[in-house]
Amino acid sequence: MPSPLLVVDGVSKNFGDVAALSNVSIQLHKGEIVGLVGGNGAGKTTLLRLLCGVYRPSNGTVRFVDDGENKPVDQVRERLGVVPESTGLYSRLTAWENIRYHTRIHGRNDEKSWDRTHRFANALDIEDELHRPTRGFSRGMRQKIALIRAIAHGPDLLLLDEPTAGLDVTSARKVRDLVKQLGDDGGTVIYSTHMLSEAQRICDRIIILHNGTIRADGSPSELLKDTFSEDLEDAYISLTRDVARSEPVEKDSTISNILLGIFSRKNRSLNRGEEE
Amino acid sequence: MSRFHIIWTVTSKELLDFVRDWRTLAAMLLVPLILFPIIFVAVPMFLQGEAEELGEYSVSVQLVIEEGQDNPNELMSLLNSTSVIVHYSNTNFEQNKSLSDHDTLRDDASLSIRNGEFDAILLLREGDGNASENWEYVIFSDSTDELSREARTRLLNQIDIWEDGIISSTLSENQLERDDVYDPVTWDGTVEAADIATSGEQAAFTFALFVPFIISLWTATSAVQPSIDLTAGERERGTLEALLTTPIARSDLMWGKWLAVAIIASASVLLQLVGLFVAIRFLAAGILTPPTVSIVGWILFVFTILLFAIFVVAVEMAVAMRARSVKEAGSTLGPMVILFIGPALFAQFVNMENIEAWWFIAPIFNICLGMRASLLGDVSIVHAMLWMSSSLLYALVATGWASKQFNREDLVESIS
Repeated sequence: MPSPLLVVDGVSKNFGDVAALSNVSIQLHKGEIVGLVGGNGAGKTTLLRLLCGVYRPSNGTVRFVDDGENKPVDQVRERLGVVPESTGLYSRLTAWENIRYHTRIHGRNDEKSWDRTHRFANALDIEDELHRPTRGFSRGMRQKIALIRAIAHGPDLLLLDEPTAGLDVTSARKVRDLVKQLGDDGGTVIYSTHMLSEAQRICDRIIILHNGTIRADGSPSELLKDTFSEDLEDAYISLTRDVARSEPVEKDSTISNILLGIFSRKNRSLNRGEEE
Repeated sequence: MSRFHIIWTVTSKELLDFVRDWRTLAAMLLVPLILFPIIFVAVPMFLQGEAEELGEYSVSVQLVIEEGQDNPNELMSLLNSTSVIVHYSNTNFEQNKSLSDHDTLRDDASLSIRNGEFDAILLLREGDGNASENWEYVIFSDSTDELSREARTRLLNQIDIWEDGIISSTLSENQLERDDVYDPVTWDGTVEAADIATSGEQAAFTFALFVPFIISLWTATSAVQPSIDLTAGERERGTLEALLTTPIARSDLMWGKWLAVAIIASASVLLQLVGLFVAIRFLAAGILTPPTVSIVGWILFVFTILLFAIFVVAVEMAVAMRARSVKEAGSTLGPMVILFIGPALFAQFVNMENIEAWWFIAPIFNICLGMRASLLGDVSIVHAMLWMSSSLLYALVATGWASKQFNREDLVESIS
């Protein structure tokens, strides 16, 4: 196993009385493509915002560990690339001006940024759109530009929040191929999605998030094996059903222990039912 | 990459975004530039045109005179020369009762004016006195009706001329000149020549009375729209989140945006000033004189505006950044502008003679009084130190507060 790049240790995030995330611990390794899967309100976006330092944890730490560095993630944001849920493009600027704005903030010179941008735009079939204002762009087009913006400065860790939302089949495949290529080139990617099939296709590892807690963390084959399921959808449903939001998650969140906890709770409730 | 470079990256992007929006560009830059020329040229032309249009109308007037009394021929010929159609009638006025107290006549007049028969009614009777002629009169008219007002004005103008003739005639009968009666103590020469202030200084004095107020008004209002757009607008459009994931420090982001808003607001204020001076220098040449202000006065004036702009822009950006939407920011900042304008309005009337020092540290007042003192060339070093240092302090506090708002975690909201 390669050395960890990002270490999330016991992170919780509360918004007032609402616990959006509870005691989340993850390690991300170099070259991994990790799928973050969960339903609406599971805490995916909150976790991504914590991972890129936009949010500060209520408890726990998010640290970037690389080449002897061990720093809070908000101090190494130049090494991250993020595609947020909203894409966040300025409609009066052209696609290239949007990308250039971010690469300049990352301290990259325009010439190199343009070369990379052009290469990625070519891969996504949008090189002709780079000098058009993004005002009239479709959702899919905006997603592609946001993706290029996130990778144009050459980040070590890429955080993608639903990057294929709104894309047609061909475009979604191109995006996935590009992400896969980035992973093959040694980049680390966190890929948030609610589409299990997509996660299964490109992710080395899948983290299932439900009600702010990690329900499972392992490779697609491990998830299937541990839940005795034939496909990931069945695995996901068995991992996320009948678990009250307020119940604490075990500190040791390996998949076996989590599953053990779920099944033991199930057994308890079954036993209570039999007694009644 | 230097901090200034990052701040300038943000500023230049915001300015590029700003100039791409022609509506905002027109509202912030073009309108201020042409506002005063329009006020100085178009408004007088329009008013003159409207007055001329009204002057072309004939008005219908009823002249009611004492039964058996001859009509005053001089007045009749004067009225005939001004498109006044006169209808004569006679009545018996009650003695020892003023003309306006004749209720029946007043009611009749009201009826005939309201139903459009006449535009005004002139009651006229001979009065007592030692002039060559003595007359008493009253004009019934409707002050809410344009033609009735016009008829009243024309009657009053012609009556003034008629009265002037009677005065001259009376004086002549008594072998007196007009000045002997009306102007026995005479100013010998021109009033302007006796004022030791130059026309430029007089203009500066007049400017000092209203320019600080309008600059406060312009600065406060010019910064509102860009402040909202660059903060709450960016938040609402979802572009802020992507920006916050980059390595830019939030304080640098605040400074970059602040600089952009300050440039836009300053350009807007500057163009309004240019428009004002062009209007005075060229369009109202001969009527208004450009103000004479020393170089030091101008430097202090501009520096004071700059400090005020730092303060205002920072406060408005901080408030807008707290808002969750453009609508909320607008509904907060709109009324808040009164907080800037109110003191500026009162500061116009503060007596500068022996002014207490604390006025120069009171927020907003210090700026307006500083601008007034600069324009008047009446700057005391103590006062200048007070208004500059207090303005700088307020500006720093405001930018500190704005910076704090940019560090709020809930700039990106969602618990999903």
